[in-house]
Amino acid sequence: MKRGRFSKIVFIILLLGGAISAGIVYSQQGEQIPAPPEPAKEEKPAEEAKAQTPQIVTDCFESRLPQEDGKSYTKVTRVENTVQQYGWPNVKCSQTTGGVLWWGDPFDGTAPMGDMPVLANDDYSKGDYAKEEAVVKPRQSQLMYFNLDPNKNCALCHDGKIVPFPKDKKPRKLAAHQDVVADSMQLMHGRAAFWCLDCHNHTSRKTNALIDHWGNEISFNQPQKLCGKCHGEVYIDWRLGIHGKRIGSWVSGGKKRWWVCTECHNPHTVQVNRFQPIKPETAPVLPKGMKNANHEQSQHDDGHDTTPKGAAGH
Amino acid sequence: MSEEIKETGKEDASGNETRRNFLKDMGTAALAGAAALMTDSDDAEAKSTWAEWFQKNWRLMTDEEKKDAIARLETRYSEEYGKKVTVDGSPAMKSVLFGYALNIQKCIGCRRCVYACVKENNQSRHDTEIQWIRVIRMEKQNFLPDDMNKGYPPSAKEPFGIQVGGNAHKPAGVTLEGQHYYQPELVPEKDAFYFPIQCMQCEKPPCVKVCPVRTTYRDPDGIVVIDYNWCIGCRMCMAACPYWARRFNWGDPNLPKEEMNPNTHYLGNRPRMRGVVEKCTFCIQRSRKGRYTACVEVCPVGARKFGNLFDPNSEVRQILERKKVFRLKAELNTYPKFFYFID
Repeated sequence: MKRGRFSKIVFIILLLGGAISAGIVYSQQGEQIPAPPEPAKEEKPAEEAKAQTPQIVTDCFESRLPQEDGKSYTKVTRVENTVQQYGWPNVKCSQTTGGVLWWGDPFDGTAPMGDMPVLANDDYSKGDYAKEEAVVKPRQSQLMYFNLDPNKNCALCHDGKIVPFPKDKKPRKLAAHQDVVADSMQLMHGRAAFWCLDCHNHTSRKTNALIDHWGNEISFNQPQKLCGKCHGEVYIDWRLGIHGKRIGSWVSGGKKRWWVCTECHNPHTVQVNRFQPIKPETAPVLPKGMKNANHEQSQHDDGHDTTPKGAAGH
Repeated sequence: MSEEIKETGKEDASGNETRRNFLKDMGTAALAGAAALMTDSDDAEAKSTWAEWFQKNWRLMTDEEKKDAIARLETRYSEEYGKKVTVDGSPAMKSVLFGYALNIQKCIGCRRCVYACVKENNQSRHDTEIQWIRVIRMEKQNFLPDDMNKGYPPSAKEPFGIQVGGNAHKPAGVTLEGQHYYQPELVPEKDAFYFPIQCMQCEKPPCVKVCPVRTTYRDPDGIVVIDYNWCIGCRMCMAACPYWARRFNWGDPNLPKEEMNPNTHYLGNRPRMRGVVEKCTFCIQRSRKGRYTACVEVCPVGARKFGNLFDPNSEVRQILERKKVFRLKAELNTYPKFFYFID
């Protein structure tokens, strides 16, 4: 009797012990090692994922939408294995909207900005801020006619003889190159007080540079030097990193790619068509059991909302 | 191991032995089993799992132990995802306190940050889709003077008077009226603004306060991190967080091999397991190497800013000095290091 009870207790203890140790082994496997019968399970999600991501999008845009003819200042092409350390591509593009979704190499296709624009209150003796490593995505390499001739550039035709230089800055209708300057016909900047030659150099077509009001040439890669002449407040914010965008290193003085004015703003149509709205990425999946997200709408039918529909805009 | 013990136990129980002897035997058997798991097995994976099971909290581990843990993880992840995965264990940088600023006036609600974050941080892609950033759409027009004077609808028995900024026709201000699942044709919409939220990396994080196993804690550079191996999945932190910032892995995360980001940090974006909580870490694997977070880099309007709060030249410090800044739910005294600002 005594022995019988004792053995029973022992047996229960053993069972418990066994269960616990089995539990340990099981939870170890469950948490970290893929369990043996999983290959069958793994195939399904992989297939689903493949169905969801039919192919890799290689052409995408950074900030501004591509124009109708497919040309875009901010176009990027995905290149595989740009960052070899991790096997990263330079960018990853969105399947749904074609926007850049992830930067592998922030300095992809960039060139040094040149002399850094300095602020009035910058202290040169401290040095660091003025010498910040700044790169930009050069604009000139994307100009079609500019690159027709490597030496003469636009001066191939615009040498003052084949195509004469304009005598003054007075506005006139553009006869040619509407393909280059697609927005030229709806030019609107400074409430139409500006015309092409206020910003573009009318003689120096070889460098095809911008020009400030003193006649100094300004590179297309540094349009902020021109824009900042009028838009000083924004310029200061941009210089400090508050306005605009930078990618690369967050460290002050570290290497950064700066987005210049014209990469987001179109100076030609800035007052007519300020920004093109873009398509948003897909909404998060609704929680299990939720059929729709109507409860979020302030206009939803909960019996006490008497505001007429459409009052909250569209 | 369990069966082994059971069998030994049966033998012992049936035999005519004293209790002491029996217990002694059982102890030996259990030890033998443990030893078998620890040493006798040739399987490297089993060994590493065993070591992991007895791994300490990351904060209490010596450098040696950390190195071992990282080596274990690197081997396993590399095998699992078919590429060379690095697991970084670097501690906080000195004299760095990370801060974040978001220009709420500029945000257009395109959700690119949400997906940049997913791509960078190895979240589960589907079947429990996990996203660390939420973009909340807020409708304007809640402060119309017409509505303000309306009071409660006629059905209400007692006139309660007029609430500040709204009434029963329209909610007060925009509190709790955000839309998380908005999907318009194009953004930004007229009469709406967008309010991205994510982990605020509080100075006094309520999540850290409630964690019963102290697996989540605040590193000296201000990032609130989680040691996933030490997390028991109780989800207290999720309940405590006032910012809706933490996510739970209800199942094994679905992370396709080709999409896995091999640059990982132990406390950040290394692949998680089932039953642990995760959240934004300011891309710890990037920011501790000096690089901007993924969401900052991808924002098409440049609304997101990131930098060192100890550096007076940093973007965030300049914003704090020059712009109108507020913090979300500042009244809770969590002291977030995530600032919203307007021009």
